[in-house]
Amino acid sequence: MATSISLEQSGSPQGSPTPRAKRSAWAERRDRQGRWFVTPFLILMVLTMIVPLLYAVRESLYTTQLIGGTHFSGFQNYKTIFTDGAFWSGLIHVIIFGAIQIPFMLFLSFFFAVIFDLGAARFGSVFRGIFFIPYAVPSVVAAVIWSMLFAPSYGELVHFMGLFGLHNFSFYSSGMIWPTIFIIVIWEWTGYNMVILYTSLKSVPRELVEAAILDGATLRKVITRIKLPMVKPAIEMLVFLNMIGALQMYVEPSIIGQFQPQAISDSFTPTIFIYNTGVNGQEYGQAAAAAVILGIVIVLISLTVFALRKRRGEFS
Amino acid sequence: MSELTAKEVTSRRQRRRERARQQQADEGGVPLRLLGVKRRTVFFLTALCIVFTIYTLIPIVWVIVNATKTQYNILTTFGFWFAHPFSLVSNFRALFNNVDGVGVYFRWFLNTLLYAGVGGIGATVFATLAGYGFSRFRFRGSRSAFMFVIAALLVPVTAISYPLYLIYARAGLINSAWGMILPSLVTPVGVYLMRTFIDASVPQELIDAARVDGAGEIKIFRRLALPLMGPGFVTVLLLNVVAVWNNYFLPMIIFSENSRFPLTVGMGVWASHAAQSGDQNIYPLLVTGGLVTIVPLAALFWFVQRRWNGGLLVGSLAN
Repeated sequence: MATSISLEQSGSPQGSPTPRAKRSAWAERRDRQGRWFVTPFLILMVLTMIVPLLYAVRESLYTTQLIGGTHFSGFQNYKTIFTDGAFWSGLIHVIIFGAIQIPFMLFLSFFFAVIFDLGAARFGSVFRGIFFIPYAVPSVVAAVIWSMLFAPSYGELVHFMGLFGLHNFSFYSSGMIWPTIFIIVIWEWTGYNMVILYTSLKSVPRELVEAAILDGATLRKVITRIKLPMVKPAIEMLVFLNMIGALQMYVEPSIIGQFQPQAISDSFTPTIFIYNTGVNGQEYGQAAAAAVILGIVIVLISLTVFALRKRRGEFS
Repeated sequence: MSELTAKEVTSRRQRRRERARQQQADEGGVPLRLLGVKRRTVFFLTALCIVFTIYTLIPIVWVIVNATKTQYNILTTFGFWFAHPFSLVSNFRALFNNVDGVGVYFRWFLNTLLYAGVGGIGATVFATLAGYGFSRFRFRGSRSAFMFVIAALLVPVTAISYPLYLIYARAGLINSAWGMILPSLVTPVGVYLMRTFIDASVPQELIDAARVDGAGEIKIFRRLALPLMGPGFVTVLLLNVVAVWNNYFLPMIIFSENSRFPLTVGMGVWASHAAQSGDQNIYPLLVTGGLVTIVPLAALFWFVQRRWNGGLLVGSLAN
């Protein structure tokens, strides 16, 4: 299954070339031509990913000042970032947000996926299509529309809250801003995650479910004892990918900030911090250091997930 | 002639019926009777689906309804029903104007087509070539090069975008279309997906046979392998186009001239403009512009729906 990104894939997948030892000189020469297929991509990748990364690391070690120009400052920028409460508060906020939003969303996604898979609701394929619609809406547009629905005075959802006696409800107050973003993010990604889980549920052998039913398993048991364990790798993968997404959160708060500047601080999320420090504030070195730190945090989380899965031998 | 048409119609009907039957078989899985699910449970679960449908459709219905309104009506009338006058056409026309000198929507639309078209197609071509190279050749370093690509899957977008901005500032690529297109051409996940797909759908034996017959590698790739890659190519293309179409952070930091903006950045600028200026027409533009941004992608999805390969979507997890 494609969900488990395989690090061993070059081993011997189905129908791949024979191991090196057995090959003739002719085959060796011919196989070398594979380089021509791979090289264009690798060159571009080095140019647009590796070089910028290395450049960012270099830049993070320098400080640019209006007077005095650029000079080497060692780990000064990292020290500044590490002791900057604003950067950490942004980082902690997105981590907490992810820790709440991702399990909630994946619960919803799995719930609907399994219902559709078992055909336990009517018109399943219609609902499935509708739930996927938000994936076709660019997150900027989604954030713009939701921001207008949440807007004070004319926002339709503010009027709606009025029906419950909550007049002039503010979705952008400091206590509500994260739940507001939560509503937007859940809207954007639940359908996409649902489709992925639905697809991996398809690979659960039918016989297994039928046997369980013959043994008298209930709907709930089929779902929790058979379906859930079978898609556990896919769910783990989704947790990890959504976490990477949450750590880099930018679009939703940034668009809300365009409508309501006072609702979004300059360091609301790490990416907003990087933007405001590096692009607006011209503190290139500090922003580069923040980008490197954010990158390291994300790579560490990724490696932890991979290590956990590898230990359990879950690489395909 | 008429006979032929009649035959065509029947066969088309048959095909449709067959497809419906196939779909039923796919969907059904285990019959509900076997699960002993009560009708009440089915009713309850369907009701939950309807609740989530309402949540999903709120912004969609709202954007469609309000694209037909004037600014006054957007701000004052009930958001989920139409109001007089019906101004969809005039709202749409206004997308071609330069509003308060902030920029022209239609220009942004063309830019987005350019970035997503060239970037998306180019990325898919490079990914296909590389995926084929990794899948069907074993040269020295191929294994480690592939590991290198897999490792790149973990590199966060932000960690790349800001450094790119730094380099562009030095190389004079700020406000250049290439600054947007070049990074869009590199999709490690595309390479991974194409490789997985080729492993499964282009038989090594077929390629070996062609080699024995003396065909060159390029000819084998074009004549033999490429036609077999259709579904994988389309899926990866779709994912790549969507990724560029939705990209916000990179264009936001590398473009300062509004004539270069893609739709996403333009919409963001309009959003802040709407909040700050008292312009009489900015809200209808924002809403209509949002709707026009969604439509091409929705149409694209609809168009490739038949070829949409769920299995590959699972692989696209690493998006």
